Amino acid sequence: MKATHLVWIRRISQGFFLVLFLFLLIESRLPQDIYLRYSLVFLSEQDLRIGWPVAFFFQLDPLIWLSSLLSGHHLIKGFWWGIALILMTLFLGRVFCGFICPLGTVHHVVSWFRPALKGQRMIEANQKSPSQKVKYFLLSSLLVGALIGLNLTGLIDPISLFFRSLALAVLPGLGVGLKEIFDWMAKTDVRILNQLSYGAEVLVSPVFGYGYQSYQSAWFIGIIFLITILLNRIRPRFWCRVLCPLGALLGIFSRFSILRLEKDLEKCTNCKLCTEGCQGAASPIPGQHWENAECLMCFNCFDFCPEGALSFRFTWHPKLNKKPDMGRRALLTGLLAGISIPLLGRLDGQVHKASEPRLIRPPGSSTEKDFLRLCQRCGLCMKVCPTNVINPTIGEAGMAGFWTPHLIMTQGYCEYTCTLCGSVCPTGAIREISAREKIERPIRIGSVYVDRGRCLPWSGNGPCIVCEELCPTSPKAIYFRKEVVPGADGKGKLVPLPYVDLKRCVGCGICEYKCPVKGRPAIRVISAGESRSLKNQILL
Amino acid sequence: MNHLITRRTALKRLLRISGGLALSAFSGWPRDGLRSVWAGPKKRRFIVEGLGQGEGYSVEELTRRVFEAVGGITQFVSKGDVVVVKPNISWARRPDLAATTNPEVLEAVIGLCQEAGARRVRIADNTINDPRRCFALSGAGMVAKKTGAELIYPRSSLMREMKLGGNRLDVWPVFVPLVEADKLINLPVAKHHGLSSLTLGMKNWIGAVGGRRSALHQDIHQIIVDLAQFFSPTLTLIDATRIMIRNGPSGGRLSDVATRNTLVLGNDQVAADAKASMLFGLSPEQVGHIFLGQKRGLGTYDLQQLDQKQVIL
Repeated sequence: MKATHLVWIRRISQGFFLVLFLFLLIESRLPQDIYLRYSLVFLSEQDLRIGWPVAFFFQLDPLIWLSSLLSGHHLIKGFWWGIALILMTLFLGRVFCGFICPLGTVHHVVSWFRPALKGQRMIEANQKSPSQKVKYFLLSSLLVGALIGLNLTGLIDPISLFFRSLALAVLPGLGVGLKEIFDWMAKTDVRILNQLSYGAEVLVSPVFGYGYQSYQSAWFIGIIFLITILLNRIRPRFWCRVLCPLGALLGIFSRFSILRLEKDLEKCTNCKLCTEGCQGAASPIPGQHWENAECLMCFNCFDFCPEGALSFRFTWHPKLNKKPDMGRRALLTGLLAGISIPLLGRLDGQVHKASEPRLIRPPGSSTEKDFLRLCQRCGLCMKVCPTNVINPTIGEAGMAGFWTPHLIMTQGYCEYTCTLCGSVCPTGAIREISAREKIERPIRIGSVYVDRGRCLPWSGNGPCIVCEELCPTSPKAIYFRKEVVPGADGKGKLVPLPYVDLKRCVGCGICEYKCPVKGRPAIRVISAGESRSLKNQILL
Repeated sequence: MNHLITRRTALKRLLRISGGLALSAFSGWPRDGLRSVWAGPKKRRFIVEGLGQGEGYSVEELTRRVFEAVGGITQFVSKGDVVVVKPNISWARRPDLAATTNPEVLEAVIGLCQEAGARRVRIADNTINDPRRCFALSGAGMVAKKTGAELIYPRSSLMREMKLGGNRLDVWPVFVPLVEADKLINLPVAKHHGLSSLTLGMKNWIGAVGGRRSALHQDIHQIIVDLAQFFSPTLTLIDATRIMIRNGPSGGRLSDVATRNTLVLGNDQVAADAKASMLFGLSPEQVGHIFLGQKRGLGTYDLQQLDQKQVIL
């Protein structure tokens, strides 16, 4: 096969998988056109689900599979995709990086459109450098850390990082911008603008989902993403070469690959075009030893060589490829970091002792210990949540739980019959539950308490009782009694006063979300009473 | 040619003409007769109660009969109208839990509007739970798909501050499609409600506004009446096929639901609510907003003042 053909096949494949990734990302929300036949709903509890396999790329990513297995001793759903990818890497090398990885494609496109360096400087930048060992350090620390009990893989796993950045920062950012425009159009007195605003909103909603999502610390997620993109100005595909732990893992497996770069020293004129076009700094030039573990399988060198001195061929050798240049020191430091980070993460005592009252995990979450072993911080649960209540943590779960999901009841609430987050979680950190299980068991995520000093009826400021109206349990966990409360004028007023029955409360937080006392609501959810913890309980 | 009309042919022709006239007059009579009553300068107020008593009665048939009792829906919906139906789809709950309007009633009403030649029929509600989940689980989404009615999502671009001119509410964001409708049909479900004691027709207008709705509870009865005055629907059809008798307005268990197989149709919001409140064993004046509604002149809970009809199926 001709080299140009190969490069075009690569480009088509990259485009296809990037589009697929974006499509699944956009579909990671409750669609607007879900219909259930109501005659069927009559007889059965039906759970609303997303019709697309939105966790596909997470299943394809063997690092997610491996870290959940090492850490949580849990084989994730669809793990055979990851195994298939490893098998493919065994034979073909890091074709995932060159042909499939959507984040890699973005870096590739950015490096290719606006090359930061030219000519000799690019050739120098594309020489293999010791910094490329960093990814092996990261990989070893992540895997050792996972083994010991803290799974931080998702923070820098390319699929998780890309999904999180797009879902929590890029799309909502565009959404907020559009919302401002639409709101302005809707507010004007020009009828045609009003209608256009509605039409535009209907048109873009399939992309941005229903409503406009917002996430705490999304600005930080966005900045990190920008930095990974800007790193391409230093060297092409900087992320893939230096940082990507998945690339490192696949690099190790590529040692057995039978698709090899064959070099013909005789034909080589030392023009260095191959090195100039190399995406992975894998020493393609004849005379140097090909670094197969660094090679992203982009086939640029093959394509660029004017003399036909380079070619990729399937060759059966009894000899293995060159050992990946991991560096013993990088591995040892990784080991050390991998041991110490999980321990440092537990120093705040969250796992064993105190529970943070604001750390309200999604329904179906495993115990905190297991949660930290499985959660990839990918943001899929946050993206699908219809009320936008699930947000990345900043300090609530301590350092160990940075960017894991938790519920902020002033931003949304957990819908009583909704079980979407668990149904998409790629690793099972949030278990898939049914609406029936959630209600009948019940699965509690916390419990609620009334702040009598702020509550309107309790503080003598008049009747309210929104919390009681909205309480979804039957019988209601929030009930009221009509009692006389002194008002500001000293006269008694007969008003309904809210009380909480802790036995019935599931902590859904609709009362906190809809409480008219803004700022800090007069009724608030704390994590105490959550089903997943044996310790964090109130009642006997 | 000689056209001689014999006595016999003359008689035959006369008979034919008079008979035809009589027949046409007879067949056309009920409709014409009623139209003259309903289309008078003073709008006659009526209340129709439809009861489904037969085993496995058809909700669709009952709805049709209830409308026929007052001359059919063509009395209210004209060809080319944009009709907005405002059901109560506040909660993401199954239809049999009676937290939302029965989809069969919704489907029947939309069907009738379409038969009457409505240009567009829209279903609009500003739900409490996520609208996608509410429309899917309550069956409203399926009804929209089946009948071709438009399902209007409560989007921020459809909320617009308007002057309500009520006693308590002056300016408030309103769900625009309801205001822009040619004909507005209120289609609530009858439910118990902790604070306002019942949620029937007038209370359903809380789902027709946007903004900080939770603050509306601070003077709920006045606000219900303010909203009812502002929206003033063409018709109110209260779905009491299943009613929620306790733990309202959200319910959640079948034991919160009672089957009444009843529909209440009226062009007087207060009267319709009054009639439906009796299903809960309450007298209308016990319900704050029904009492206030009469005081404000929106209608009457003294049902003797209205044309009362009953349809039993």
